[in-house]
Amino acid sequence: MERFGMGYLEERKLVQRWPQPFPAIVSLVLTIAVFYLTWWIFQDPRGWLRMYTPYVGYMYTRWWLIMLIWMVYIFNYWPFKRTWLEKTHPIVKGAVLTAISVLILYGLIKGFFEGLLGNFGIAYFNPERLMKLPRMTEFFALEYASLACLMFAAIASWLSPAWVVACEEVPWQNMDQPGKGISILVVTFFLSVLVFFMTMHSHMGILYYPWQYFTAITPPYWEKFANTVSGNFHVAWIMCCTVVVWIVETIWERFPFKLIKTNWLRRITAFFGIIVLAWAMFFFLYFAQELTWGQAIRGTRLINAPDWRWLHVGEMAVFFLVPAIFITFYCGNWPRRFSLPVNVLIRTVIAIAAAILLYIVYYKTSHDFLGTQKGFMHEAQFPMIPLIWLINIWLVHHWFMDNWPAWKMVPKTAAEISLDHDAEKAKINEIRWTKALGWGLGVGTVCGVAVYFITLSILPWVYKSITIIK
Amino acid sequence: MSEDKGKINRRDFLKGAATGVLGGAVLGMGLFSYGPWSKTYFPEVKRKLVDIGTCKSVKVTNLSETSWFENSVLMGDIKGAGGLLVNQYSYNWPPFGDGTGLGKGSYEKGIAKIKHLLPHAIDEAWAVTEGLSVNPNNAGGFACLIEVEELSGNKRKFLLDSGWSYKWMDECFKREGIDEMLRNREIEALIISHEHFDHFWGVPVTYKYDPTITTYIPEGFYPEGLQYIKDSGHQGKVITIKPGLNPLIPGLSTYVFAVPIICRVYGEQAIFANVKDHGLVSITGCCHFGIIQFSETAFREIKYEKDQLYGIYGGLHISPFEDWDPKYDDLVLSLGKYDFQKIGCNHCTGLLCAKKFVDAGYPIVRGTAQYRSRETVYLGNGDRIGFGIEV
Repeated sequence: MERFGMGYLEERKLVQRWPQPFPAIVSLVLTIAVFYLTWWIFQDPRGWLRMYTPYVGYMYTRWWLIMLIWMVYIFNYWPFKRTWLEKTHPIVKGAVLTAISVLILYGLIKGFFEGLLGNFGIAYFNPERLMKLPRMTEFFALEYASLACLMFAAIASWLSPAWVVACEEVPWQNMDQPGKGISILVVTFFLSVLVFFMTMHSHMGILYYPWQYFTAITPPYWEKFANTVSGNFHVAWIMCCTVVVWIVETIWERFPFKLIKTNWLRRITAFFGIIVLAWAMFFFLYFAQELTWGQAIRGTRLINAPDWRWLHVGEMAVFFLVPAIFITFYCGNWPRRFSLPVNVLIRTVIAIAAAILLYIVYYKTSHDFLGTQKGFMHEAQFPMIPLIWLINIWLVHHWFMDNWPAWKMVPKTAAEISLDHDAEKAKINEIRWTKALGWGLGVGTVCGVAVYFITLSILPWVYKSITIIK
Repeated sequence: MSEDKGKINRRDFLKGAATGVLGGAVLGMGLFSYGPWSKTYFPEVKRKLVDIGTCKSVKVTNLSETSWFENSVLMGDIKGAGGLLVNQYSYNWPPFGDGTGLGKGSYEKGIAKIKHLLPHAIDEAWAVTEGLSVNPNNAGGFACLIEVEELSGNKRKFLLDSGWSYKWMDECFKREGIDEMLRNREIEALIISHEHFDHFWGVPVTYKYDPTITTYIPEGFYPEGLQYIKDSGHQGKVITIKPGLNPLIPGLSTYVFAVPIICRVYGEQAIFANVKDHGLVSITGCCHFGIIQFSETAFREIKYEKDQLYGIYGGLHISPFEDWDPKYDDLVLSLGKYDFQKIGCNHCTGLLCAKKFVDAGYPIVRGTAQYRSRETVYLGNGDRIGFGIEV
């Protein structure tokens, strides 16, 4: 039976053409070059198409990410046959699959959101409908509609991969494509719609005067807790969920959830565990801003406004995703020589350090390099756009092009696949409850809490010591 | 045997410890960061209470608040040029039009067409740029005259901003007698709030009547803006104000915020006036940093009469393009607790926001909707407002 791309990512062997770090460096240079060229063509406010308006470019960037996830994680490259995936040159494969992802993207935005939802359901998905409002300009009609699609994308970019990573595709894991893909797509899309109505619809409802009391819950229920009526509060934790899903999938290798042997318990724990981890990140990143920039003041603009701070939580979270993906895609998830928890801890520390460095470099250079606003705080300064644009290019390069040219794809033999499964089982079985592990866990927890409080104490000092924006 | 056992224990211990470190950090992040205990990390606000002196009264004359006349035309240009982050000098708006079309201009190409005519032949310069620019008739401008009465009764005048269109601003200046005041050197200084087209690009109109006037600009001007002051024929002092407080005369001080602003602009300057027996008055061009931030800054930095935030004049940059966002509602809902007594908003505050202020019961001073201002819901062109004085 034709398997299409089911198991393709696990069953391909990427052979380095040169010893590390050269393949990683070559890939980084190459993908950054493609990033910059495409950024200038599509997004840069000084470039050609100037889609960074900002919401139009933001929306397409986010939805393109989801298209890639759908094609690879949910539909397993269907309808492309396995032999085509294995034998086609990476450039041809990359070009064909990317073109298809863009076609689906365009069809989804124009056909589903603007055409279907916007014409027969909810007006704010369609710019032309919004133009009928008194004094509405074409620019803001497009921005509002893009914002609504974008908010939907934030949710879908969390739930789509979560169903695969955490829920392990249940109950359709043994189904053939495209039935499996369609089933997962329908359920994750349905959940995204529910979450959208409960988190973002009120935000859209109060964009209009007067507030749309009869169609959206206003003032929204989160107002007192979040200190704002803005839906950025939800954007923040949902972004953290997206980032945590991918951190669990990449540098954490689904640890610690994969240690749970009972299937249903593992899946439920993973799904909700990711949310718990995301909320911890969400609260911490907000608190980190309060420690460096002072407490947020409701009603202010820019850097001191709660809505900006919440949005910045989501922006900050994405900085952690970039090194995590790089470590997995181009560094072979280094290191691998220690036990799984130690490997995970080391990779996490590296990803945090790299994220902080990237944050500093981004804000120091993005104004000149990418044409974005100078400084941290402008409402149109969205580091998520270039960072996700870069991640999209990495996904295309890794998923569609097998890391060409620094790597060569060779299908694994049945024996190699079997060895991989055994190694994976051994890795999990190695972690058993012992007295020493218990002691380690206790001491480690105390150290973890201490690391947290030490971080709180030095954060303001560290921020003052580094001049990011002159 | 015992060595083997020790080795295994150490490896197990490390596995547990690595997991524990991650778990402990997550525990702290999740339970402490947004809980009530986290507030212990915030120091109490220490007020600096800098004395900027007091004045008897302040009168503001709105020369022009209509920065552009058709919002749809302006936003159409912004959309066509590529959005809110495009460099303002590349729009091909007047006076820097070079005939190449929307989004394809530059300062250098634009100024080359009119530089020889500045500042004295601004009518001719505008006629040249009208033929080369995108939608020149949509340009208006923001500017106001600030008259400060000192405790001694002596009156001093300052100009906040110089608008955009030479033609429109010259008309406004003549309407309110600003041309004569400048000629007679009655106005001490031109205070530029920020580099935006609608506040700054009309600067040759001021220099036409007084090329020697001292000009205060906020730190953050781009090279094009600095060059434009020179190319406009200015012969006086240009003083660049760093972020923070900058007292000018007793009772009047500017304050510069290092803030990024759309269309590639950075930094904004606004004014505090401390009016005897009344309180603090905020006068702003666009207030991109937000009026509540301005008020909080005043609370932390300045000593003012009766500890009362008394009045506001100017643009509050809430819905300049008649757009909206829930965060603006945060401002509308929060402004009441600052207890302003007299709010003379206009320009980029937006008509919709002014309506929301009125709905919320705030003391908005209404206007007369004359000289192309649209509605009476806020102070329009030619309207006046007094703080410590009735006008």
